[in-house]
Amino acid sequence: MNPKRCAACKYLRRRCPKDCIFSPYFPPNDPQKFAWIHRIYGAGNVSKMLQQLPDQTRAEAAESLCFEAKCRVDDPVYGCVGIIHFLQTQIQQTQNQLAKTQAEIAVAQTKLSQTHNSDFM
Amino acid sequence: MSSSGNPSSSGGGGPCGACKFLRRKCVAGCIFAPYFDSEQGAAHFAAVHKVFGASNVSKLLQHVPEHKRPDAVVSICFEAQARLRDPIYGCVSHIVSLQQQVVSLQTELSYLQAHLATLELPQPQPPQVPVSSSGSLQALSITDLPSISPSVYDLSSIFEPVMSSTWAMQQQPRPSDHLFGVPSSSNIGGGGELQALAREFIHGGQMPAQPSPGTSGSASTVIKRE
Repeated sequence: MNPKRCAACKYLRRRCPKDCIFSPYFPPNDPQKFAWIHRIYGAGNVSKMLQQLPDQTRAEAAESLCFEAKCRVDDPVYGCVGIIHFLQTQIQQTQNQLAKTQAEIAVAQTKLSQTHNSDFM
Repeated sequence: MSSSGNPSSSGGGGPCGACKFLRRKCVAGCIFAPYFDSEQGAAHFAAVHKVFGASNVSKLLQHVPEHKRPDAVVSICFEAQARLRDPIYGCVSHIVSLQQQVVSLQTELSYLQAHLATLELPQPQPPQVPVSSSGSLQALSITDLPSISPSVYDLSSIFEPVMSSTWAMQQQPRPSDHLFGVPSSSNIGGGGELQALAREFIHGGQMPAQPSPGTSGSASTVIKRE
């Protein structure tokens, strides 16, 4: 048994076994992460999800689950889908600005070449 | 998913998709009934149940105002299916991909704006590529992205002030037709795209290419958490 319980086992008020699936990813110094996870997914679901993954990918999975859980806590209606929408909107706006700037460059270049042509005459 | 507000509880003729999946009696006032019809709803609910669990989703929906629940259900289904398709990154990989696109576009925009400025100045100056992609949109900067670090995520501090003014949903959308309710008065101009994205996803569309394991866990290196 781990002498120091991980954040998950502390939250769940249980002993933290040596092979606790949560302990590598939920250190005791960051209890909030597991609180989000538990609130949105539930400890059992997260445990199952992590167990189905290879060891080397579990850290990434735990982090992405935390991120999504936090987004859902912050925005219960849209969760991280709200961020996706925001980014898509931003992409669209930036593309519009790019098109506008390219048009302005074309106009400026045309004006410049006309000015140079009239200088040579 | 049900596209109408008609409950498909046992009183109306058969259990809703959620209760069908859970093999339980669908009571009148079932919280899932308006959003999971008895035909395709069961399949959607299966994904939601596997990732979130029925009781967690029930609690989530209970804390959401009723007129926002269709949107909440659609986004939950979207996330659940994203997680099943990519058990490691879920829809975070899509976020990372979009974020990279934004940064790339902003860099290009900054460069072009600098180039335009040189064309408009009286004295010629060589156009300079800016070191940081500040651009005119300040939501993201390439300098915010850590080089390589263990998975860290932080988009909330970047997006919070924008998102609070963006989600001005004025009407109750139907999940299948108006995913995130894009009325003419809505501030969300790109809702149709998200609608298409979610519809495509829920009906078996393709997600963008996932980051390969060999790309230094790009999902984890790009999104920074404080």
